[in-house]
Amino acid sequence: MSVAIIGVGQTGYRRSFADKSSRELIWEAARLALEDAGMGIDAIDMVISGVAPDALAGEASVERTAMLGFGKPFLRINTGGVTGSSAVFAGNTFIRARRARAVLVVGLERMGQATSSQQVFNTIFDPVYEKDFPLTTITMAALRASMLMRLYGYTAMHWAQIASRSYRNALRNPLAHIHRDVSPEDVLNSPLLAWPIHRYEACPMSEGACAMVLVDEGMVGDRIPAWIQGAASITDSYAMGDRIHRPGATLVDLLSLKLAAQRAYAEAGVDRPREQLRAVELYSAFSSAEAMAYPALGLCASEDGPRFVEAQFTDPTLPVINPSGGPQGANPVSVTAMVRIAEAALQVREMAGERQVADVERAVATGQGGATQFSTVCVLGKRQAA
Amino acid sequence: MTDAADVYIEGVAIELSWADRTRSLTELIFTTVSKAVDDAGRGYEGIDSVVLAAHDLVDGRSLSSMVTAPAAGAYLRDEVRYSDDGAGAFAAAVARIEADEAERSIVAAWGRASEHDVEEFSRALFDRIFLAPLGLEELHVSALNAQKWRIDGGDASHVETAQARRATAAKANPRALHAGGKRSTPAYPLASDHLPLWADVVAAVVISKRPSGVRIKGLGLSSEPSWLGDRGVAKAPALKRAAQRALSEAQIGVDEIELFEIDGMTLYDEAIALEAIGLAATGEGMRSLAHDPRCNPSGGSMAGYGVPAMGLARIVEATLQLRGAAGPVQQGRPRTAMASGQSVTAAQTQTVVVLEAA
Amino acid sequence: MELVTIEGKWDFNYTYFAGESASRFFHELRENQRIMGTRCTKCEKLLVPARAYCDVCMSVTDEWVEVGPEGTLETFTIITTAFPGLPKPPIVMAYVTLDGADTALINLVHGMDLSDIEKAAQKLNALPRVRVEFIDEPKGRITDFSFKLI
Ligand SMILES: [Zn+2]
Repeated sequence: MSVAIIGVGQTGYRRSFADKSSRELIWEAARLALEDAGMGIDAIDMVISGVAPDALAGEASVERTAMLGFGKPFLRINTGGVTGSSAVFAGNTFIRARRARAVLVVGLERMGQATSSQQVFNTIFDPVYEKDFPLTTITMAALRASMLMRLYGYTAMHWAQIASRSYRNALRNPLAHIHRDVSPEDVLNSPLLAWPIHRYEACPMSEGACAMVLVDEGMVGDRIPAWIQGAASITDSYAMGDRIHRPGATLVDLLSLKLAAQRAYAEAGVDRPREQLRAVELYSAFSSAEAMAYPALGLCASEDGPRFVEAQFTDPTLPVINPSGGPQGANPVSVTAMVRIAEAALQVREMAGERQVADVERAVATGQGGATQFSTVCVLGKRQAA
Repeated sequence: MTDAADVYIEGVAIELSWADRTRSLTELIFTTVSKAVDDAGRGYEGIDSVVLAAHDLVDGRSLSSMVTAPAAGAYLRDEVRYSDDGAGAFAAAVARIEADEAERSIVAAWGRASEHDVEEFSRALFDRIFLAPLGLEELHVSALNAQKWRIDGGDASHVETAQARRATAAKANPRALHAGGKRSTPAYPLASDHLPLWADVVAAVVISKRPSGVRIKGLGLSSEPSWLGDRGVAKAPALKRAAQRALSEAQIGVDEIELFEIDGMTLYDEAIALEAIGLAATGEGMRSLAHDPRCNPSGGSMAGYGVPAMGLARIVEATLQLRGAAGPVQQGRPRTAMASGQSVTAAQTQTVVVLEAA
Repeated sequence: MELVTIEGKWDFNYTYFAGESASRFFHELRENQRIMGTRCTKCEKLLVPARAYCDVCMSVTDEWVEVGPEGTLETFTIITTAFPGLPKPPIVMAYVTLDGADTALINLVHGMDLSDIEKAAQKLNALPRVRVEFIDEPKGRITDFSFKLI
């Protein structure tokens, strides 16, 4: 049973939507996705949703208003940063299990309601051993970035170039939250948050909703499909300290992403990712996270990472990374991983407007959450996997 | 609806405790998951999926599974966490196996009521704009449902007998909470005994394609509108539809089911639930709860209650009954059983599972 | 028409049970000023901080072993921006593998000259040896100790 994405709906992303309630944001994204799919809500068999962490919205189960239609099966996912992709994967599962023919997946981020997001992020850590530390998503990334610099020769300039490229891509994405022409020098000149990370390298806090309609092969009809060719998800240990001495997969080797990519590629028949994947939508909250994803996705060897960054600006045969601007352009946490799949779907369906990459036969979208712990990889294609 | 391969329950475990200072939450999870894996009998061999049900606010960890999932065997496995009831997670795990995405899966759910303030948590579940300012809690919704049931002519003459039966069952159930626990303050028309006994609950099961003692025969899920006022008060419409779906998939009538473990927060919720699944006529649910030995032999919410583990806890109890391993609360040797679990706010979503002794 | 906003506070009370293993770890910090690890019965790794089970093997730990007090820095960051509710910057945070341990432990690095962040970063990049330093009156919390460059 093959599953296709035939509808994508996004509200667009910004700091906050004072003019819309949570239910209105969800409704708007769902309406757009259904419209794109040419379907009404009655044709949907199941709804899967997720918001994580609840604390960012200051409301538990804020996505309950996604129980659209009447009496449909509804499940809510919470896998932190990968909530959005997990929701898509769950929809894929229920269709493949023939328990549903059409699934609506809806994600919402309402973090504009949170007055202090980093304080919330500190409460995700182990309350017994780690709660008293300034552990935040930023410092976790910084601990890794400094290791990458030491091991593979990345420089502050590489981090700045990656961030700048994403900002500039976001200029072509009308849905993005940040539309600002940021040069690598601008990144380097922005304040230092936690060495070696500068403010302009960090993602914005964005609100917004994203929805998708997934159907079985018999329901695609005359719609333009993005086929889910491969989808895989892997969880790593929580303890970062335990991973430092792990043979072959230390703190800066995204073992969970690598294993997920291997599975998803095998399902999709991808064996030369650098040639076969034209568009890559990465859930990389920081430049260093993007660098860790390159070898995990088979785009280059770890030690060739710095050269791969440089080559992106000169070699048009390389895959285009984050044509949407990625999380640098908009980071509605609960939905960021879903947006990656949505954007990859738009690329495959040639519906990405000004940010469309040429000849996208296949695209890949990743998700990354927890303590760089939950990884998802989704390969989408113009055709069903062989 | 599905013609996929059959899925079986290989191993189960459940533990109820209260404020056990010797163990952290992750240690409680590790213990119960290890027991379920031991019960299944072949270690971690072939386990390629972990599906969890846990709630950030219950766990007091803003991204609970980041800290807790590894305790449930998630390391380098395909793991997903539902912020939903354990029965919902169970359904998703079954679907994974049916979809050929997994061979063998752990399903685990937990809620540690002694670590958090259950009323505070309950108030946080309601819409911030219209309902939270009223100070509404889930048990208030249970009280509203109970009173509506009485107003509509529900036969309340069996309330005391039903309550006494729940108490006797909970006392006899070796897996129930027998010391500690906590009850909220009841709201009219509920009495203290009608309320759930808050407990620290961890439930775990191992499922796979490989034939073993208990087979999953039908699954049904459903939901109610998000506005409380839009729902059918005291009718549990989501449970009704979920039960219909599970029964039709199992191709069995509710009367043929020999054992029920149906989730409800209070005595009245359990009675209303028995009507919703079609076992009792409207207004007659309390009579069934009082006199029908097939209904909630575990003691229901009297035996201990920890959100969001209860749906999976019911599945564990039903499985033990089908295996003839329920101990003092064993009800003969049932061949079929129905278990349910509810989630989100005030039973807004429902999952019903029909099981069969294989 | 005015768009309504409603003030709220997301504040919940919890009592986290650290459990026997972590309690003993904290007890050792307070009473004996030493860092303890536990050994996995399956992979035999010495896991620090001490814990009841190894999540890689899903096996229990048994033996308690003291590690350190010296160790090697593995990676670090220097926090230069203030975050609400957390200590004042600049702060050096690092993962350190204490001698004898198979896993790294995170804590703050005290006593460094942080007037020049880049210079401090270069010094830490050399992955220096460090020593555990306890506060004068340990309370049995993870903040009872920090690392200091040797
Ligand atoms: Zn081990």
